[in-house]
Amino acid sequence: MVIVKRKELSLAEKLYLPEVLRGLSVTFRKMFEPKVTRQYPEEPLPKTEVTRGQPRLVVNEDDAIACVSCGLCEAACPAYAITIDGGETDRAIEREPKRFDIDMLRCILCGFCEEACPKDAIYMSDELELADYSREALIYDIEKLKRPKAALQKRIDYVNRINKRWQTPSST
Amino acid sequence: MADALFYVMAVAAVLAALGVVLAKNPMQCVLSLLASFFALAVIYLLAGFQFLAAAQILVYAGAILVLFLFTIMLLNLGNPGSEDPTDVRMFSRANAGLMVVVAAALLFVAALGVRRAGPLPVAASTPKTGLDPIPALAGEMFGRYLLPFEAISVLLLATAVAVVVLAKRDRRPNEGGRT
Amino acid sequence: MTTLEGFLIALAKTVVIFLGVVNVAALMTLAERKFSAWMQYRIGPNRVGPYGLLQPLADGVKFIFKEELTPAGANRFMFRAAPILAALPSMMTIAVIPFAPDIVIGGKNFGALTIADLDIGILYILALGGLAIYGVILGGWASNSKYSLLGSLRASAQMISYELTLILTILSVVVMSGSLNLREIVEAQSDITRWNAWNVHAMPQFVAFVLFVVATFAETNRHPFDFSECEPELVGGFHTEYSAMKWAMFYIGEYSAMTVMAALTVVLFLGGWSVPFWPDAPWYVGLAAMLAKTGCFLFLFLWVRWTLPRFRFDQLMRLGWKVFLPLALLNLVVTGAVVSLR
Repeated sequence: MVIVKRKELSLAEKLYLPEVLRGLSVTFRKMFEPKVTRQYPEEPLPKTEVTRGQPRLVVNEDDAIACVSCGLCEAACPAYAITIDGGETDRAIEREPKRFDIDMLRCILCGFCEEACPKDAIYMSDELELADYSREALIYDIEKLKRPKAALQKRIDYVNRINKRWQTPSST
Repeated sequence: MADALFYVMAVAAVLAALGVVLAKNPMQCVLSLLASFFALAVIYLLAGFQFLAAAQILVYAGAILVLFLFTIMLLNLGNPGSEDPTDVRMFSRANAGLMVVVAAALLFVAALGVRRAGPLPVAASTPKTGLDPIPALAGEMFGRYLLPFEAISVLLLATAVAVVVLAKRDRRPNEGGRT
Repeated sequence: MTTLEGFLIALAKTVVIFLGVVNVAALMTLAERKFSAWMQYRIGPNRVGPYGLLQPLADGVKFIFKEELTPAGANRFMFRAAPILAALPSMMTIAVIPFAPDIVIGGKNFGALTIADLDIGILYILALGGLAIYGVILGGWASNSKYSLLGSLRASAQMISYELTLILTILSVVVMSGSLNLREIVEAQSDITRWNAWNVHAMPQFVAFVLFVVATFAETNRHPFDFSECEPELVGGFHTEYSAMKWAMFYIGEYSAMTVMAALTVVLFLGGWSVPFWPDAPWYVGLAAMLAKTGCFLFLFLWVRWTLPRFRFDQLMRLGWKVFLPLALLNLVVTGAVVSLR
């Protein structure tokens, strides 16, 4: 059995009014302290390379994506947000996705696809805003997912740096 | 116009009073009573008794009727007839008799006081402008009519105490618990 | 002064005061959100108009266009009448509050800035103020919901309990100033050299003042006594089932009741329009003083709400009947004794 010992109140505390005044003074002082509110659309959140936004497909210097539709990201995705239909291509990589859809309403921004990708084709961008008038419009296809490499360069460098830290000599 | 308003209000007061008696739903009874009080207050105002009108609304509409409403909502008298008849066994004859005697005595004292003081010359003390000066009213109430006034107060207090005693009674554990 | 002229002056005063109160009530909704935000390190509404000043307007538009719902099994007539009954009394009580002394423009005296200079002003306020509770009770009862019913039950018990304290403290002031007319009460206080001048300032009615202010909080169902709408237990209390403009009516009633109570506190205890050490101040200074003092009390309403936790219902009742009522009664007896011995 737990016996709670209550604090014995002094007379001033029992009268309550002095304590009320004390509380009022606290709230009054707080009124003039700096505000923590962020005026969101005007003052967006600071974004760094660590920010894990929505996944995007990197468009390399040859104006094509590096994806070979191996399906590893599809398998890694815990939310089953990725759908890939593979196909052949005349390019040196021989295979490319005919369809690469990410359902942004299912995506949980976990970054597993980025980790799984063996061809450095998919990276987490710093884009976070997601709004549209229909569910269908939020299933992004390849065209909507494409981003030039320059836009994602900071994230790519960061991921490579982190990955290098965990690489053991034998695994390279 | 004042005359017309008086007749309208008089009819309204009577109709509302009828509503109190005839309405099936206790809530409607109380609201009819409220309407009746208001009509009465307006009639007081027309007769030039501002204080009486205000007191009527303040005491009856503002306090007593609210208590009625409170009780009705607590009892949940949604469908009349489903409640048990009030248990009257808790009135012991001796107590009830004693109470009646005391009440009668108090009423007698009040009546005696009023008789000794004689009727209040309302028409003379009230100016035609329709204002009842509060100091004059207070003077009458706490001077000439002090005894009946206090006797009625004691009677009301006795009633309140009696109600508390009656309500508390059947909760004593050694008397077989609640009824 | 002709009859027509007198009628026009009365009409002008009515319009000015009534519009003033309604607008203050609307602005109070904004002020409530602004001050609560500032006390919590936030900014508050600032999107509609400069500094969010048009927020009440946007709220009003929203209320008008919202869907009105009537719960099944509700008593339709009462359900509709209750919001009106809640809003009306507090708007009517403003009629006897004097806001400024005799207005003199261009050498012409237009009389004091009050709609009705009643000899029984205080009784009028108490009588009508006591009726505000019908809106709450009927609204809760007609909703056919247990939360609403519990909320209105609590509200009625609470308002009756604290009305006694309110009346007794007001009586102490009446005993000191010897009048039920609010204008005369202010005038009795305005002379700083007299012993009962500035009722609170000169300390004689300090107890009554504190009791009165606390009782106004209970009477207007404001924090920390807002049991009728105690959100964690009763959803929304008596207005749980209300929506759209009907719901807004309850709030208009609450905020105008706050405005009236704040003005009444100033009139009874803080000398109304009188300015300290400037006995013959012109009327516009008096009006400004009155509004400033009232504003302070309106701020107090908000300030307390965002500071104190809600009481428990039995604590409230115990406080009302076992502490406040005896204190107010004692204060009245002592005041009466002192006044009659002088």
